[in-house]
Amino acid sequence: MLLSITNIQRFSTHDGPGVRTTVFFQGCPLRCAWCHNPETQSGCPMLFYVAGRCIGCGACVKACPNGAHSMHPFGRTGRHDYDATLCKGCFRCTEACPAKAVEPVSRMLDPVEIMEIVLKDKVFYGEKGGITLSGGEPLLQAGGCLELLRLAKDNGLNTVVETAGHFDATHLAPIAALTDLFLWDFKDGNAKRHKEYTGVSNALILKNLRAADALGSKILLRSMLAKGINLEEEHLHSLAETASGLKHCIGVELLSYHPYGGSKSEQMGLGDNGRKDWIPSAEEMRLAGETLHRLMRPGIREPE
Amino acid sequence: MSLESPWNRMSLESPYKHMILESPWNRIHREPGGNNLEFYTAFNEKRPIRLNAQTREFAWESLHGRYGEESLRTPVVAVDDIIGFERMTEYGKYDAAIARIAEMAPIRICEFETVSGAATLGGAIDHVVPAFWRGGKLWDSVSHVTLGFGKVLETGIDGIAQELILRLADPALGAPQIEILESMRNTIGALRVWHKRYLEALARVKPAIHGNLIHVPFKPARHFHEAVQSLWFVFAFERLCGNWPGIGRIDEMLGGFLKRDLASGVLTLDEAREILAGFFIKGCEWIRRDIPEDCGDAHHYQNIVLSGMDVDGQDVTNEVTYLVLDIVEELGIGDFPVSVRIGGNTPEKLLTRMAEVIRHGGGIVAAYNEPLILKSLTEFGYSTAEARRFANDGCWEVQVPGKTHFGYYPFDSLKILLNDTLGLNGTPALFDDFGSLYAKYLADLKRAVEGIYRDTVRDRTGQLPGADWHWRTAIPCSAVSMLTEGCIESGLSYLGGGARYNVMSPHIGGAPDAGNSLYAIHKLVFEERKVSFSGLMAILQSNWEGQEALRQYVLNQYTYYGNDHDEADAFTCNVLNDFAGIVAELKGRCPILFPAGVSTFGRQIEWAPFRTAVPFGRRKGDILSSNTSPTPGTDSAGATAMIRSYCKADLSRQANGAALDVKLHHTAVQGENGVESLVALLKGFVALGGFFLQPDVVDATVLRLAQANPEDYKTLSVRVSGWNARFVTLGPEWQEMVIERTAQGV
Repeated sequence: MLLSITNIQRFSTHDGPGVRTTVFFQGCPLRCAWCHNPETQSGCPMLFYVAGRCIGCGACVKACPNGAHSMHPFGRTGRHDYDATLCKGCFRCTEACPAKAVEPVSRMLDPVEIMEIVLKDKVFYGEKGGITLSGGEPLLQAGGCLELLRLAKDNGLNTVVETAGHFDATHLAPIAALTDLFLWDFKDGNAKRHKEYTGVSNALILKNLRAADALGSKILLRSMLAKGINLEEEHLHSLAETASGLKHCIGVELLSYHPYGGSKSEQMGLGDNGRKDWIPSAEEMRLAGETLHRLMRPGIREPE
Repeated sequence: MSLESPWNRMSLESPYKHMILESPWNRIHREPGGNNLEFYTAFNEKRPIRLNAQTREFAWESLHGRYGEESLRTPVVAVDDIIGFERMTEYGKYDAAIARIAEMAPIRICEFETVSGAATLGGAIDHVVPAFWRGGKLWDSVSHVTLGFGKVLETGIDGIAQELILRLADPALGAPQIEILESMRNTIGALRVWHKRYLEALARVKPAIHGNLIHVPFKPARHFHEAVQSLWFVFAFERLCGNWPGIGRIDEMLGGFLKRDLASGVLTLDEAREILAGFFIKGCEWIRRDIPEDCGDAHHYQNIVLSGMDVDGQDVTNEVTYLVLDIVEELGIGDFPVSVRIGGNTPEKLLTRMAEVIRHGGGIVAAYNEPLILKSLTEFGYSTAEARRFANDGCWEVQVPGKTHFGYYPFDSLKILLNDTLGLNGTPALFDDFGSLYAKYLADLKRAVEGIYRDTVRDRTGQLPGADWHWRTAIPCSAVSMLTEGCIESGLSYLGGGARYNVMSPHIGGAPDAGNSLYAIHKLVFEERKVSFSGLMAILQSNWEGQEALRQYVLNQYTYYGNDHDEADAFTCNVLNDFAGIVAELKGRCPILFPAGVSTFGRQIEWAPFRTAVPFGRRKGDILSSNTSPTPGTDSAGATAMIRSYCKADLSRQANGAALDVKLHHTAVQGENGVESLVALLKGFVALGGFFLQPDVVDATVLRLAQANPEDYKTLSVRVSGWNARFVTLGPEWQEMVIERTAQGV
């Protein structure tokens, strides 16, 4: 079994407890307008082109059978244009590029191979740390997740799964049995807006969330707030209500929107889609945290 | 490279050079118009406040150069008017000069000080004995030594004076020995004069603490405040005479006094913290207002070592250990670099406190891996008891404090590869296979190390190794000799071979660069055959000119040391291990101990212009690896991978030490989990067999540098929002965001 992985990041200190290695899966059923990792959305092979690394040697132009790369002395990036719509994902260019200016967004890796990398840092994990599956939506590759979690448990590692919750419910029970903590994204409590900004309804997400809770899974809810979108009372109420209704929710974490995805999107030849006007101020984030805390049942950890 | 040139060493040798450039301690923010003193931190939370306002005010002034400026107004005392000075013997001159310093140096008593005595002659900041004759210096002073301060507390200076009297009664002593021993007595006499001046002044100016200086340092200390006063007074006297000693194991020396005082109720922990803070604040009295733009000022090797086991194998950790961490955490004092001996038995609480202090940045607190170092020292030949005493010389080179005369000899192992082995500075060599290339490199390395050994021995003795042994006459240094075990017994001076251990250590620099160069040649020429050997040599001689595609290929397609890549790491580890083997062969040829060590401190900067382009793609003049750390820009797999790569070498064979610098952004160590993650790094470093870890948490200035030079900051981790990423992998707008957030200290 091969998994499509965009990155394996060692010494992650904010993707669950302790020191962790985070495995980023490619592919996501959501199309959030604010996506921080747009490279993980599509399930298809894609390229990153980093203009700053390009030395203008033209090796990619020669290698590409589809004309996705071209040299323009006065082009958009200075000397080299990459048109993602022409790319068929053959990766001849990434092999030819000496400077790693074009790189595949993801690699196909075997779970055993992934676990070998994860286990390299076992000495740093201690009792709390371990592996985090993130993405993208890891549960789009549920079989692979299950295999990785099994290997992690065989090796005594703590396991965290970060999910947006929009996945086939039949996968939940086996995954939950091997997961010590879910970091569960709660995008928006307003159903209509959820559909508008993420492309899917929040019904399945909430259903899976409650099912996971019924299975006894520990859950940390996470919600990214964007000004003018979900940074408002209704969403915070819904978040508090949802969290309060879960028996095993250990806390709610509020994250602030930043146009991180913008430059990544640019590197993928898709143009910068970052929105500076969505960034909440520190004060707005603080107030949102206070509101949430006031509305939640006692016992749930104060948002960070 | 000669030991006789401390002027040069001063500007070169601070291990904190790196830290100063990147995380300037003296950039302390004072809130406009307020009394609220804010000591600089790279962390997003303010430093905790435990000390009283007066102590903090005192620290503020000291850290802002008030006392350093004062000292510069009285740089030296003159000895021109001493009758017959010119005709005196060298020791006669020294004793007269020290006496003059004790009589003439300005007395300084600060309003809020808890301990008295001050090194008020600014010339000492320049590493000389600050007594000048006809406007010129007479002698350089001594540094890279941790003196026997523990003995001062236990027996008092009178105990040492008594020892000298007894020793001088030996009829077998020769005239030179008598002169040296008498000089130590005269130095103690000068200390009495200086002591008396302080007692008189204190009685007038600050009677509240006058009582603490009556008994000490001549009698043994009786309680904590006296012990801190005694330690400070002798330390300050040494510095007044120009020397730059390290402190050593302060918690082991002071812990018992504090324990007794706390138990009897004469002192509270808060009071003890104020007293000890006075020691640290006074230790900043050489900070000048205008910071010279080099490696930073005020780092005069006044190193502190905490925790670890005592001679009986018991854990030393006590309340003083934690008070030291409290103080440097609150005041951000980096002038006493703190190294903590950690191992399997280190209390969890201590690791947590270390992490909490480390988070504030500046790399104040570093870690020794005690189990590995004890193994290393005993295998090198020290007894178990002596090994357990280890501290350092003032930087991080391991030594037995109070008994060791130390010097080190850094050399550039990359330059040896480039010039001697590859011939890139002249006619390039030709090798048919990697084996013969590496054999030639080891032969060149061996010749260089043997040369250092020969020169070291000849410098000290005037003879070649193995000849009949006697030390060459050295400049006087009785203030140091009197606190170094072995000098009284032998009647020899510290610089003249009197110390129990005389350690001269060759330090390999640039080993990761040499390893990476060898790896690139192995891959490019012998394995992939992308270019011929002579072709590559020609490319390097032309500084990669016109070869950008190939240069990018070797830069980007190979993985180098520091990424936990076994194949690549092996090349650097082999260089380190084979160097240790070459050094070990020289053991026992003379009484000078010759342990291997690894360092560059800041020398990678000054070596750069003298190196050619390197096979792994960097051009001539690029600044490459520091200490045992990966070459900047070649590591991209994070801190854990870097530590694992470093630990693949058998570091126990570098008996003098091998440091790894790890930089983290404060966002990566934020919150409770950040502390736990730092603790996990420390534990992993011990478990994997590291030697000395210098973790640093960096700030916005560094992030700006990272933006301008992303290749050099690949492992710099930042917290983004709910996760962390390496800073250089962030898009420009995110970098701006992180920098702005850092600058605001949100």
